[in-house]
Amino acid sequence: MSKVLSWRGWLVFAALAALPLTPWMSKYYMLLAFDALLFGAVAMSLDLLMGYTGLVSFGHAAFFGIGAYATAVLLERGVLSLWLCLGFAALAVGAYALAVSYFATTRRGIYFALLTLIFAEVIYTFFRYTQTFGGSDGIQGLPAFQVLPGVAIDAPARLYYLVVTYLLLAYLACRVIVRSHFGQVLVAIRENEDRARFLGYNVQRYKMGVCLISAVLTGLAGALYPGRAAYATPDLLHWSVSGEFLIMVMIGGLGTLVGPIIGGAFFIVLQEKVSSYVQWYNIVVGLVLVLIVLFVPRGLVGLRDALRGRSGREAAG
Amino acid sequence: MLEVQEVSKNFGALAALAGVSLAVREGEVFSVIGPNGAGKSTLFNVISGLHVPSAGRIILRGEEVTGFGPEVINRRGLAKTFQITNIFPGISVYDNVRVAAQSRASVSGRLPSLWRRPDVEGPVMELLGAFGLAARRHDLAQSLSHGEQRYLEICLALATDPALLLLDEPTAGMTPGETKDATALIRRIAQSRRLTVLLIEHDMSVVMGISDRIAVLHFGEKIAEGPPEAIRSDPRVLEAYLGGADE
Amino acid sequence: MEYLGGVLLPQLLHGVVFGAALGLLALGLTVIFGLLGVMNFAHGELYMFGAYAGIAVIALTGSFWVALVAAPFLVAAVGALTEVATLRPLYRREPLHGLIMTFGLALIFREGARQLFGGDMRRILPPIEGSIPLLGMTYPKYRLFLLAISSILLLGIWLFFTRTRAGIVVRAAVQDAEMLDGLGVNVPRVFTLTFAGSAALAATAGLLLAPVFTVYPQMGVEMILLAFIVVILGGMGSLGGSVVAAFVIGIAQSLLTLWMNPQRVAIAIFGIMIVVLIVRPRGFFGREGVLE
Repeated sequence: MSKVLSWRGWLVFAALAALPLTPWMSKYYMLLAFDALLFGAVAMSLDLLMGYTGLVSFGHAAFFGIGAYATAVLLERGVLSLWLCLGFAALAVGAYALAVSYFATTRRGIYFALLTLIFAEVIYTFFRYTQTFGGSDGIQGLPAFQVLPGVAIDAPARLYYLVVTYLLLAYLACRVIVRSHFGQVLVAIRENEDRARFLGYNVQRYKMGVCLISAVLTGLAGALYPGRAAYATPDLLHWSVSGEFLIMVMIGGLGTLVGPIIGGAFFIVLQEKVSSYVQWYNIVVGLVLVLIVLFVPRGLVGLRDALRGRSGREAAG
Repeated sequence: MLEVQEVSKNFGALAALAGVSLAVREGEVFSVIGPNGAGKSTLFNVISGLHVPSAGRIILRGEEVTGFGPEVINRRGLAKTFQITNIFPGISVYDNVRVAAQSRASVSGRLPSLWRRPDVEGPVMELLGAFGLAARRHDLAQSLSHGEQRYLEICLALATDPALLLLDEPTAGMTPGETKDATALIRRIAQSRRLTVLLIEHDMSVVMGISDRIAVLHFGEKIAEGPPEAIRSDPRVLEAYLGGADE
Repeated sequence: MEYLGGVLLPQLLHGVVFGAALGLLALGLTVIFGLLGVMNFAHGELYMFGAYAGIAVIALTGSFWVALVAAPFLVAAVGALTEVATLRPLYRREPLHGLIMTFGLALIFREGARQLFGGDMRRILPPIEGSIPLLGMTYPKYRLFLLAISSILLLGIWLFFTRTRAGIVVRAAVQDAEMLDGLGVNVPRVFTLTFAGSAALAATAGLLLAPVFTVYPQMGVEMILLAFIVVILGGMGSLGGSVVAAFVIGIAQSLLTLWMNPQRVAIAIFGIMIVVLIVRPRGFFGREGVLE
């Protein structure tokens, strides 16, 4: 059985780790890189759901946002430990994900898409329009995380290393899962859900499982966000953010794990550069999505494979 | 092995099955025949757990399984193949059978399955070899010929180590040559694994040649049951088939 | 009694009116999903286009009535073009692609409308002004007209699906799209026409409701969420279920606004959906095995 991460993979992470040491890494670019990798990680966790299991989540922003708010609530109260924040975020997101996935997985795939959307909308409405968590302003002015007492993540470089570490761990976890027995069943569910049931698999439980994993990974990423932004606002929960996650996965390529990371990074950079120039940015995004689905459904990774003459996406190993 | 007691199934106003009863003995090959629309597939769907019967009971290996879902019934020892080929198209032949075989691994359904990969190479290769698919094991399932896909169907079912095999028109769409081979293969496998087989078939030569007993369904009711010779000459059966039932 | 006549009854009627229009919207969604296998996320934008097309036609001709006829046609044309260009290539693929495609289309439509018409709220004046006494209250004439038109349309659609051959075929195909092939029907044409029809329905609902609510590029988003809830409650694939659920949601929403602010109403509607899903996971009329 081959290693989980090839030498090429380790090389990439080494390069990522070395990035802050290069001369042109200003604070601006460091934060941009943070965003790119963070959202790349989110896209990757969404790929577990979409690419491997075939379930489209239109409500992933809720997982991200709840993670962010969980951290914000703790930081606001002076609980600065990164570990406590992550743990609390995982619990909060996990509870929400349990509820959503329970209802969303009882029936066919389309129910999943609709119910994740509706649930997320309610969460957004709750955070935006009630004053429980600050309403439309959210929670502002947050202090920095502390990895250990006295060691704060208050410099861009430290934030960056935090996200690189997270991405590495999340990626390793995803790789292991995708190559495991569990991962194979996910692919079987994607290919033919009914048949999987007739082979003795409790499909709902698997769907709930992958939804939980994907949600918690996304929630942990969300939990890191206030470290960068010093706030948590309802905008993070908006359905358009869910849409952006979808776009990232599609750009990168379904069912490849790596593709969505690249897709996420690509999208963040694109968004940063294009939206400052063009007012009708959303049309560009929508057009990109339509064109990708029509002509390059396997995204960037599919494009690369096509150029190399390789076939189809991963069948989990 | 299997007891179907007074099973009825209604879809809205349509009575697909009305009070059907039969008992399948361990080790036998039992065929269900009847004109189109007689309710054969519905019967299979009810037995295998896809539909809940409107009335009646299903008893599998001495235990009641009425209303249980397909995954539960499969774990109790019943495996079904489908009339329209129902495989995993986008993955390889090997992976198809592998995922089927792995459902019986000890780690399946428990936490370690998140990182472990049970070794099922032996059983998978044995099945692929028995059905002549070993050479194509790395090909995508959707690239197989129709006959090969039907074989893959059966492999998937067998990989779950069943005691009772439900075959829904296994030779559908096969050429006469393929049908003969398939029939012989099924009989051989059934004997070597001591399987009980419940079969839906339209091809009379297959049915008459392979079955220990036959039941005939017509408009959702069982109109006859018995060994092939008795069914062959039963006037009610002949009338059902010839009496304009296929309109 | 005062409360009953002065507040409760009108609100109830508002709910029925809204439910009828919502029913038109949800019906289009259900038919498309059943027939084409696509959950059209851009459906809300077609609704929005109906209102804007109405504004454009009114600006040209000065007549709401001309707009009521012309706008659905215009939007149906847009729908047909969209279907042929972007959805048709996707029918053989996984349903996931169609979903994401319609999501992308929704983005384009929404932003396109904003660029074309501006992001500020517009108003369409009701073509019929004034109120009439009804059941002990005074009720706006236009809303009654809205109810009448919606009901006629719903009735017409019901007749189409139960009395005409084309309708029966389409309805059966909504349950099982594969059977169409066997009937020798020109499937691509049926799909395009159905999509156009669904777009026309959405546009009609959009234009009819425009004088009641305001017109702005995002107006489709709220409605599509409600339409999704309706479809889930009614049972996927059940045409009758969609209509019934639409009335239920319309009335529930209308009555709840008497006692809660709009955001809590949204959460309450959601709560209703959850309760129904727990008690009847298939929705009101969802059938076993259908699109399950």
